[in-house]
Amino acid sequence: MTGAELVIKLLTEHKVDSIFGYPGGAIMPIYDALYQSPVKHYLCRHEQGGAFSAIGYARASGRTGVCMATSGPGATNLITSLADALLDSVPVVAITGQVSQAVAGTDAFQEVDVLGLSLTVTKHSFLVKNVADLADTLRQAFALAQSGRPGPVLVDIPKDVQLAAVEYQAPRQLTAVTDQRSPLPEQQLQLARTLLSQASKPIAYIGGGVHMAGALTELNDFLAQTGIPSVTTLKAMGSVEQTNPYYLSMLGMHGTQAANLAVQQTDLLICLGARFDDRVTGNLQKFAPDAKVIHLDIDPAELNKLRRADCAMLGDLRQLLPQMVTSVQCQAWQQHCLQLKQQFGWRYDHPGERIYAPLLLKQLSERMPDNSVVSCDVGQHQMWVAQHMRFSTPRNHLSSGGLGTMGFGLPAAIGAQISRPQDTSIVVSGDGSFMMNVQELATIKRFRLPVKIVVIDNQRLGMVKQWQQLFFAGRYSETDLSDNPDFVSLAAAFAIPGHSISRKDEVADALEAMFSWPGPYLLHVRIDETDNVWPLVPPGAANHDMMTDLPQWEE
Amino acid sequence: MRTQHTLTIQTGLEVVAVERLLQVTRYRGFQLAGMEMKPLADMSGLLVTLTILTDKPISLLTAQLNKLYDVQHLELHAAAPVTAALIA
Repeated sequence: MTGAELVIKLLTEHKVDSIFGYPGGAIMPIYDALYQSPVKHYLCRHEQGGAFSAIGYARASGRTGVCMATSGPGATNLITSLADALLDSVPVVAITGQVSQAVAGTDAFQEVDVLGLSLTVTKHSFLVKNVADLADTLRQAFALAQSGRPGPVLVDIPKDVQLAAVEYQAPRQLTAVTDQRSPLPEQQLQLARTLLSQASKPIAYIGGGVHMAGALTELNDFLAQTGIPSVTTLKAMGSVEQTNPYYLSMLGMHGTQAANLAVQQTDLLICLGARFDDRVTGNLQKFAPDAKVIHLDIDPAELNKLRRADCAMLGDLRQLLPQMVTSVQCQAWQQHCLQLKQQFGWRYDHPGERIYAPLLLKQLSERMPDNSVVSCDVGQHQMWVAQHMRFSTPRNHLSSGGLGTMGFGLPAAIGAQISRPQDTSIVVSGDGSFMMNVQELATIKRFRLPVKIVVIDNQRLGMVKQWQQLFFAGRYSETDLSDNPDFVSLAAAFAIPGHSISRKDEVADALEAMFSWPGPYLLHVRIDETDNVWPLVPPGAANHDMMTDLPQWEE
Repeated sequence: MRTQHTLTIQTGLEVVAVERLLQVTRYRGFQLAGMEMKPLADMSGLLVTLTILTDKPISLLTAQLNKLYDVQHLELHAAAPVTAALIA
């Protein structure tokens, strides 16, 4: 067989049934091998969209997402998505065609140093110079993408390697990537139990690493058995069972007041698979100022990186969490957290007839079918989704957390729909973000994917405008998007029906129409450009110094 | 206090391994004060010695370097305080 045929063989060996990509000159042999192969290829309309679909596929399913692109511009178009996967620890394998080695390094047509470009946006990357190394390289790529802290791996394959003859050989045992399960750190576990038993105001700060470790059961058992209140990061929304009374929702810049105040008051912060991101901590020096810290993670580089831990443990959370259970005396603290939760609950009694996005998203959350996957883009709507929608698992909430990439939502929803065809895939986007990968409507049309699209339209680049209003003296530089296209007509051009609403009393019927329609559907929601996301921790402030919207509401 | 650290790192034979070491050193905010590189005697890899100047804990760099798939072994040698003359 050829190297190209070997690539397809290796995909089937890894039980890859769906891949996302776009063909081009330097990857034509692989696309030829793909022709009539058992691997289903989803043609996207931009490589960035293809890679985001691979991310959505991976995040919604837990499997490795695979994307392909040609050399040069095809590969450079992957870069943003790979960076997104790196920052959110998503297992993705990207396969790129490269110019033949005979012309490599000569500035050949569509040649760019993909290996060099990939260094900062991948967990690892390979350039395959010899077809004899191709199979083992791809096997290493799949193993690396999933092992330890997951991430994207790129394999760059010159055209001559794709065309070279090679024999398929069954996999042999790899020694480079192994299960790194190690003996339990008994001394540290004892220290953690001691800190827990001494604490009177403990709180669990839960990150995306918990569900990526497959440790949600162990997490919820730990929380139930100890009674410790909890907060989550954006990426961990859906980790804590909704019946847990002491769950205070998301912390950080747009977290709930209850979550932020409780974390600021805690005397023991139990950080589980999280990384003290600046959007979480606000002013790091003032974050949880009175707390001792227990930090558990699979990535040794995250321990003590930003906040020194009194007890740091490296390892598998499925193993560590059950060993942390001990008697915790925090009844007064539990009651305090309940009181905070009640005192600072969301309000939906927004005055007027126009649509209030938080209420709309609450209604969407209540109306959407069970186990729906919600992908969103980046900006105000993203924060409203996190604040006002409820998820039963992090696999049902796909949000570009680390990189914050506008244009993520639509292609991610495509990948989610393909990985979980039995479930409803919904994208909540903003009018700015939606336009960044709008070409993927063609992918929805081509594959008749029943993705439900909600575009929340304030005719502004809303989050930037909000910051301009608050921190740049109202100088609205380049955030007016009032020349947006007619989104319903735009969808219609891709054979996607839709409807536009602007009043509260239209919402229920519009949601009903969207969900009862058997195919893709676009719901265009006009909101007021003056609506902002609250609360907000201003840059440089501590998390207890949140700005809120109350004065405006009382007008 | 600014400190000089010496790291000896064994990597794979590919040049890109050295690029990764330098990229991580730069991105994580450490100053490179010296570098030596030679292939291992059996040509199975490279031996890279980095001299780093920093006022941050060197563990913040070694933890990141150790994550690189190319890095087969990393050894951190005894640190030395940096004198004004050395900085100049």
